Amino acid sequence: MDFALLERIVGRAEELGADDVVAIGEEARAWQTKFVNNRIATGMSGYDKEVSLFVSKDRKIGVTTIKEFSRRSIEESVSKLLRFTKKMQPNEEYYGIAQGPFKYKVVKGIYDGRIGKLEQRATDFIEGGINAALAEGAKRASGVLKYNVKEEFLVTSSDARSSERSSGVYFSIRALADKDASGHKVCCSTTLRNFFPERTGARAGRIAKMALNPVKGSIGRYDVIFDPYPLANLLNIAMDSASAFAVEAGFSFLRGKLGRKVASSAVTLVDDGRLPHCLSSSKCDSEGVPTRRNVVIDRGILKTYLHNTSTAKRYGVETTGNAGLLSPKPCNAVLSKGDYGEKELFDEVKRGLYITNLWYTRFQNYETGDFSTIPRDGIFLIEKGELTKSLKEIRLSDNMLRMLLNVVAVSKKQEQIIGWEVEIPVITSHVLVKGVRVTKST
Amino acid sequence: MHEELADFAVNYAVGKGADYAEARAEHSEGTAFSMKNGVLHAAGFEKEDGVGIRIIVGGAMQFVSTNELSKKVLRGMLDSAVRAARKSARIAARIDMSDAPVEKARYEVRQRVRSGEVDSRGKIEELFDIESELKESKVNIPARFFSLCDEVVYKYFSNSQGSRINSVIPYVGFHSLITICEGGQTAQRSMQLDETGGWEIVKGWNLPSRVLEEAKALFNNLKYGKPAPKGRVDVVAAPEVVGIAMHESVGHPYEADRILGREAAQAGESFMTPEMIGSRMAKEFVNVVDDPAVPGSAGYFIFDDEGVKARRKYLIKDGAINELLHNRETASSLKTISNGSARAMNYECEPIVRMSNTFLLPGELSEEEIIDDVKLGVYIKSFMEWNIDDKRVNERYVGCESYLIKNGEITHPVKKPVLETTTFDFFSSIEAVGDRVGYYAGTCGKGEPMQGVPVWMGGPTIKLGRIRLG
Repeated sequence: MDFALLERIVGRAEELGADDVVAIGEEARAWQTKFVNNRIATGMSGYDKEVSLFVSKDRKIGVTTIKEFSRRSIEESVSKLLRFTKKMQPNEEYYGIAQGPFKYKVVKGIYDGRIGKLEQRATDFIEGGINAALAEGAKRASGVLKYNVKEEFLVTSSDARSSERSSGVYFSIRALADKDASGHKVCCSTTLRNFFPERTGARAGRIAKMALNPVKGSIGRYDVIFDPYPLANLLNIAMDSASAFAVEAGFSFLRGKLGRKVASSAVTLVDDGRLPHCLSSSKCDSEGVPTRRNVVIDRGILKTYLHNTSTAKRYGVETTGNAGLLSPKPCNAVLSKGDYGEKELFDEVKRGLYITNLWYTRFQNYETGDFSTIPRDGIFLIEKGELTKSLKEIRLSDNMLRMLLNVVAVSKKQEQIIGWEVEIPVITSHVLVKGVRVTKST
Repeated sequence: MHEELADFAVNYAVGKGADYAEARAEHSEGTAFSMKNGVLHAAGFEKEDGVGIRIIVGGAMQFVSTNELSKKVLRGMLDSAVRAARKSARIAARIDMSDAPVEKARYEVRQRVRSGEVDSRGKIEELFDIESELKESKVNIPARFFSLCDEVVYKYFSNSQGSRINSVIPYVGFHSLITICEGGQTAQRSMQLDETGGWEIVKGWNLPSRVLEEAKALFNNLKYGKPAPKGRVDVVAAPEVVGIAMHESVGHPYEADRILGREAAQAGESFMTPEMIGSRMAKEFVNVVDDPAVPGSAGYFIFDDEGVKARRKYLIKDGAINELLHNRETASSLKTISNGSARAMNYECEPIVRMSNTFLLPGELSEEEIIDDVKLGVYIKSFMEWNIDDKRVNERYVGCESYLIKNGEITHPVKKPVLETTTFDFFSSIEAVGDRVGYYAGTCGKGEPMQGVPVWMGGPTIKLGRIRLG
């Protein structure tokens, strides 16, 4: 993959009459080792090379992916895309792509060459994580180690030109001390400097041991402390909801709320495409616009949606540097840290819950924000700041806006989370939310 | 398609010391379109070739995939995979594959109208027609999102035991989310249609009237709906609700890989144990199957992604737990043989235990007869919010289009009835099973990386006697 290939593709699309062209090339190698019950179950590796291609002609738009790079194949793909696009209806909401050239600042700490050579250490990382979980009291542990390196190139017909190497590493471990007693933790980074699978295994093992002998939880409203891992599940949804596309298509509880209070003053939620060591940090978006820090919710007030050139024009603002190939998308979601130490946060709770994982978050209505989600792994009753009981079999059935408005405290220490149901990297702390509605099967 | 590369990979891996090797060469192509609030938002086409290879070396399993289709790349990847397998041996689980016959086969799902030959203008017209139909109605629908896609997947499977299977399966799909506004309130409905076959299926869906019907039902619910009763009442669940329950509370917990812990850190484990086979879950007229051979179904296949011939599995038979879903690995672990339940999302993913089409078999009563028998209850026709815990016990379904039943008659709409129950209570409450099966499409998620595969789920209308509504 190189600039010459992308320039040839963009040039050919222009020759064939395209008004706007974006070509994004990616060459990626990815590895994964899945472990089950303290044993390695499968190793996986993949190598893929592709160019995502966007064209517009008279405000008609079309996209494809090129995966064969012979001259003949490129010619066939580009000419087919132009013929295909010309048959479409104009998109009246399309206002072109950003005009370059752009000056880019390098985003620090998003590539570590050692990650591409982890083959020899992968088994050691996994063994270290499992043993640490077992040492804390777990009987078995399952999870995955994933790592990747990739190189991306971008060329547009509006003079944007960028290339970037990045890497990522992710360790997820679920430790089980008994059938109903488990803890799940993840760690992830772009470099090995911030990657601690052993510590992660130990944390999962500790939760699993604490979760032994759970009793069924009770319905009601509780003050809930969310660990960063489950909170990332909800903040991922909140940040996805800030995309102008989600707002217009009905997938967002933030529709019609610009300038209004959507969270408590403890909540400042930022989309930051330039944070060092974050997995979706990059120097530019899919139009080549330099990424930036966008304060989406500022001390509770919704300040902006996430935009590309077209949606920004319709809202009368500047692009926020969040273009995907077709729609705006978040980079990294960052919840600004608060003042509380972790212990201070727990001391705030007279009677409440500590939730360490969530899954299966589903909406009754994306626009109103009514949803439910299921706590999984360690769930604990907090009484006078102390964890007094392990609980099981409860559900949080509430509303996104109400929960954001009821955030009363955010702790100081942040961590980066991705996960099985957390697709965008979320950087968050522990958070205390008042009066969360808990239901259960009856 | 690169059949020769798949065969090469299998032979090369065996030559390098693999005890078992299998390869899937895939070629897929299709188009996709989406419309947001009347504007054609996206249009595109995809064409992809790739190969995925799974090997077992000294009991350790490795999987590699690539779209860089050269022998040189494959050799390099397989050499690394063999090295990685040996390196991991000290803590690797010993993987064995259950016995399976050598299969040579070729099959294709027929397209009466080939999707690839339908002009793209004709395809987007389907979306514009929905938009026109909704505009003509008096229903206020401020947000409308529709997508329509077609894809043909050509697959060649080859393994070191001599199986060679070619398949061609075409898919069509439609997804929508509509937001209805009435009296200052909103309600939403998402809909998913997926089938195997050609464009004739899309024409048969009659999308404009189908979406409008959903919009009108939601409008009525918003305008005339009253609070749903709470406490113990009879619930008549229509096929859409029955389908999701069969998928979530029967299909998933019966996946043998979950039971063995292989999904513990992803989709979760299961309340089920192999020792529970033969235990009673429901009355004797309750039978739940997973069947990949339903013609036109989204989960259709004749041979699974390990080359095992697929068949109907009776998960619950005569009210008792009967059989689990297996691939060759789990079958070997539990000393049985695979029942053909291995699926991979595409060439980039390993085959794992999956559902295909999971549904409750029909009984003898009509829906009218079931409703006739209810003094006070709720008829739940569709749902929006749902979820279930990772052991597949505690589940919640919140009704979308729902009505009160009084003295055997459907009276007025009710808003958001909440059925928050357990798998065991759900099944032990089934008192009547209708005679007409309805199927609904879904994309089932499981595995690492997350693999979404097309499935159907369904069943006939059922009566849940005296179950608690929240």
